[in-house]
Amino acid sequence: MRPFIYERVSDWAAATQAAGGGASAPVSYLAGGTTLVDLMRLDVMRPQRVIDINALQDGRYGRIELGQNGLRLGALVRMADAAAHPDVRHHYPVIGQSLQLAASAQLRNMASLGGNVLQRTRCTYFRDVSYAACNKRNPGSGCAALAGVNRMHAVLGGSDHCIATYPGDFGQALIALDATVDLISPDGARTIPFAKLHRQPGDTPDQETMLRPGELIVSFTVPAGPWTRRSLYLKVRDRQSYEFALASAAVALDLEDGAVREARIALGGVATVPWRAADAEAALRGKTIDEQTAMAAADAAFAGAQGHGHNDFKIELGKRTLRRALRQAAALEI
Amino acid sequence: MANAAAPTPKANMGAPAPRVDARLKVTGQARYPSDTPVGNPAFAVLVTSTIATGRIERLDLDGARAVPGVLDILTYENTGELKGVKFGQGSSTSIEDLGPEIQQAGQIIAVVVADTFEAATDAASRVKPTYSEQTPSATFGSPGVTQEDATKVSPQHKHLPQAGDAEAAFAGAPVVIDLEYETPPQHHNPMELFTTTCAWTADHLTVYEPSQFVYGLKNGVAQRLGIDPDKVRVVSSYAGGAFGSKGTMTPRTAMIALAAKRLNRPVKLVATRAQGFTIATYRAETRHHIRLGAARDGKLVGYSHEGFEVSSRPDPYVVAGVEDSAQLYAFGAVATKVNVVHADRNTPGYMRSPPVVPYIYALESAMDEMAQKLGMDPIAFRRVNDTMNSPIGNRPYSSRSLMTCYDQAAAAFGWKDRNPQPGAMRDGDWLVGYGCATAVYPTHTGPAAARVRLKPNGEARVQIAAHEIGNGAYTVIGQMAAERLGIDLASVTVEIGDSRLPPAPVAGGSNTTASSCSAVKKTCNLIRARLFHAAVTANDGPLAGRSADDLMLQDGKVVANDGAGESFADIFRRMGVAVVEDYAEFVPDGLKPQAIADLYAGKVDMVGGSHGDKVMYAMGAELVEVRVHVLTREIRVPRIVGAFAAGRLMNTRTVHSQLMGGMIWGISSALHEATEIDPRYARYVNDNLADYMIPVNADVDQVQVILVSEVDHDVNPAGVKGLGELANVGTAAAITNAVHHATGIRVRKLPIRLEKLLQA
Amino acid sequence: MASVSTATVVPAFARASRATPAAANSGDARAPSDFTLTVNGRDHRLAVDSRTSLLDLLREHLALTGTKKGCDHGQCGACTVLLDGRRVVSCLTLAVAAQGRAVTTIEGLAKNGELHPMQQAFIDHDAFQCGYCTPGQIMSAIACVNEGHAETDADIREYMSGNLCRCAAYPNIVAAVRQARPAMKTASRD
Repeated sequence: MRPFIYERVSDWAAATQAAGGGASAPVSYLAGGTTLVDLMRLDVMRPQRVIDINALQDGRYGRIELGQNGLRLGALVRMADAAAHPDVRHHYPVIGQSLQLAASAQLRNMASLGGNVLQRTRCTYFRDVSYAACNKRNPGSGCAALAGVNRMHAVLGGSDHCIATYPGDFGQALIALDATVDLISPDGARTIPFAKLHRQPGDTPDQETMLRPGELIVSFTVPAGPWTRRSLYLKVRDRQSYEFALASAAVALDLEDGAVREARIALGGVATVPWRAADAEAALRGKTIDEQTAMAAADAAFAGAQGHGHNDFKIELGKRTLRRALRQAAALEI
Repeated sequence: MANAAAPTPKANMGAPAPRVDARLKVTGQARYPSDTPVGNPAFAVLVTSTIATGRIERLDLDGARAVPGVLDILTYENTGELKGVKFGQGSSTSIEDLGPEIQQAGQIIAVVVADTFEAATDAASRVKPTYSEQTPSATFGSPGVTQEDATKVSPQHKHLPQAGDAEAAFAGAPVVIDLEYETPPQHHNPMELFTTTCAWTADHLTVYEPSQFVYGLKNGVAQRLGIDPDKVRVVSSYAGGAFGSKGTMTPRTAMIALAAKRLNRPVKLVATRAQGFTIATYRAETRHHIRLGAARDGKLVGYSHEGFEVSSRPDPYVVAGVEDSAQLYAFGAVATKVNVVHADRNTPGYMRSPPVVPYIYALESAMDEMAQKLGMDPIAFRRVNDTMNSPIGNRPYSSRSLMTCYDQAAAAFGWKDRNPQPGAMRDGDWLVGYGCATAVYPTHTGPAAARVRLKPNGEARVQIAAHEIGNGAYTVIGQMAAERLGIDLASVTVEIGDSRLPPAPVAGGSNTTASSCSAVKKTCNLIRARLFHAAVTANDGPLAGRSADDLMLQDGKVVANDGAGESFADIFRRMGVAVVEDYAEFVPDGLKPQAIADLYAGKVDMVGGSHGDKVMYAMGAELVEVRVHVLTREIRVPRIVGAFAAGRLMNTRTVHSQLMGGMIWGISSALHEATEIDPRYARYVNDNLADYMIPVNADVDQVQVILVSEVDHDVNPAGVKGLGELANVGTAAAITNAVHHATGIRVRKLPIRLEKLLQA
Repeated sequence: MASVSTATVVPAFARASRATPAAANSGDARAPSDFTLTVNGRDHRLAVDSRTSLLDLLREHLALTGTKKGCDHGQCGACTVLLDGRRVVSCLTLAVAAQGRAVTTIEGLAKNGELHPMQQAFIDHDAFQCGYCTPGQIMSAIACVNEGHAETDADIREYMSGNLCRCAAYPNIVAAVRQARPAMKTASRD
């Protein structure tokens, strides 16, 4: 690990000031540390200053608030606390489950929600700096995964420059439910759709988010909707627990007399970013969920998918995961 | 409340005494080698090659040296004094140098030593090698691999089993199968990292390193440093899991010793998890071509098995498990062959049940396929071919309880409820499959020496350089001494894991209990004889004039069968001694007396298994239930039942844990474990515990272990067969067979991942 | 009552080369950070490299080697400790970031030689073989019970999945947690 200057801040102004546009050297925020310390130890991330923002926890960064219009989750809320929160579990089961099925109890105690959505890919060729070719680490160096061992890699949203999978789970729940992200920086506060937070790799896979230098996630707001209660997160993996998804689906349904009024669908483990499956949602609108309509939705969701060898199976697996999730969500007793 | 962890002993089984080291282990006081305090250590961090074959042209150390706190950097340019130790003669590999020739990815090319771990790590990341690189050959099928007949290149495998005319048998057999199987590379991944701490006092070196063979390491390090072995001490009081990975010396040890010598300061290395994949050994990938021929009634008439195993470029490491598989059933004719395939990889090595895991997986999968082809129940098929004599030379088994194991396991499992039709059993959205396979492991016994001291108050100390790797060595050695000396286990202090103690063999081949307990038993018998002699030859006293044959030790006394007795204290007083101490060397039948001298020199020879007039094997039957999701195809194992017979069991608690853990290892090797190789670079890409899958707690549900009584007087004086490597054998086949039963899909390449079951 | 000790990490010669002890924020990234940390009820005044993990601090500077390093990347759970009562992996916790907080390690469980009910349960159920993952398992298991995640075997298995055991003592670990659960509840009522 490279040396860095460690600073603790107690208010956001000091934080964003320390990390903001004027900072001459690479700066990272430290919350749970489960991504940052990991990647610093691997020499992938080399911040020269680390701004510990955990002392911000007492403000709105650390709260979970349920209101008429939706759910507000502070960015410094720990995954475990959000997953266990009765309001989250009752009104937004897909959020609780996506957090609950991620990582381990220890990591969920540490990791913040803000850090969670910013976690970096698990691609070996990214995480091991001794591989020369990684456009995400070294723009222009190539992508070793394209013709490499890519069982865990993405079949949706990739490019000729990068097929690294977005590894998170919570992000799928957020994007499915049309969440927004509240941000703050020395330039001021702004709110953006969560769907706009992550960038597909395209030809700049090193640029993973739309965050500006020094910008800090304050909270997530998840709008209320008739679909949030009939929601779930299904995660398919080799192990029963403590593993990243091979394929996952976040599904929320608003049914009327068995027919779909609104469907909200996002896919994980198969895409380069939290992946909203709008085509699948459209395919379901007005339909009753059965084997055939679920299959049609799954086909729509993966219409543009592309495998790269080892991960070819994820197209079929992803479809089956979505089919299973839809059938399960439709059958939920609310 | 019943405690499944401590089964009630049946005949020829010892009490489930709690581990004597348990308290230390649950309080954090058990000292693993890297826990040992040494004064003011410097910290070493390894730099490893990122290419698999080529040459270091230039090594830029400027950036590393500029890091404050860096004390020294070892490279090929300043380590020439390290001597080579041949593969197979104490070293795990011939790839020992830090360069400039690179023969494997992850070869150690520099050792950076600094005042702090942080500085050493920082500096290591700034070592910049420039290579001239060649295209490596990664594995089977890669251009540039070479293949050799194992019998020509492996001294341990000059002859492989053959019997009769297998070709003629197949030609005449009404039912023949001809199949190929494949297993992946696997890494031991003990939870403890590979560590080495070296400290010199004048010209004496102490090495703290987790080891399965302290005498081997002591002699190997001495050889590499060119010093007298008596000036090297190796201490490994506990190893945090080993599974074979700590059995032979790896190149790092001598490097750290040299670093400590150059600095005149203790040096401590804790290698990273990723480095552990290349600086030590692993289980290499294998391929198998199997043919079986049978009559319509299920009687086998022929078995042929050709194995292919990957090894490194320079070393012919080979496990040749046909030596064991060929003994297993009444095959009729047998033809076997093994090939070594050399690639640009680190040298493989022993990993839990090295020969039998891949070969029995292949055979037991084929047995299931043959049973299916014959339309027979797979257990019934094995019963038809059960035998008390090896088909190789018609030699008798010293004992064999395979079908008893099957009967007890089948009853507990409910095998009779199995619908033989694949795909016929289902529970909601989960397809259910039952499968079975045989577990088998050769019994090994090696030479060992022990020193035992008995005090008049009934306290004893046992010294033997055996190894605690989770096997319960402290406990079972203590139990043997307690039993022979007539004292409580709590009165016995056991000292092991130190090359200053009398030698014991490598903790490999599941021989520890057999060898060590035989040596301890022999030593205790000397003490018994001295006490008996003193008691019966006394002029007076309660036992004077009696026959020593009528005496025994009990509760700190020498007692006769009529109840007369004399305390140790009284006998010691008469003998005029403060303590009674003896040392004995145990050499199993079949080895030369020289074996003990060899052991002191770090060389170990063992008897048993397929060699000798009688064949010696521990056996078991494993029955497993798998569930496969009808849609998304996750594979889960909710239930596994194993019944095992392995001669005398010293402690049903430690035995239960080893067998239970072994079966879970088997589940792991069936469904999870595989080291993935990027063939372009001949590098391991999942070299961490997030990507190299082993089961987590949630993967394991019901694991039932049945201990089957078995008595075997032939194996060794302790009557112990050893079972640390028994239960993980065959499991992968049982699961393969169960997955087939659940889905109708036969997977012949491990691991069984869900994508292999996604076909429509 | 907490006592105070000072553990210094900077090697003697390096400290000598620096005229005054550097404070955090000095602008020198290699300067040690000064802070206090409570470990097993005892306050420690520390001056350590900002890069030092809580795990390395415990093992290399405070001689508390019961906490184990198994991966150094949050993938195995061997380094699990309690931080203000919550289980965390100490390898991904920067020591400096834990300043002012209370750490409990395996060495802090037994009171006056009497084992914690979880430690005793691990012995009773032979919930380990090699013992290397055991301190982390026990710390995790205690938190698992305290979190209320040990009410069913299925819960125990799931919530103990962050602690790998290569010897695969998993069923025995579940049995141990099951045994310790009521004993811990009784103890906490006392």
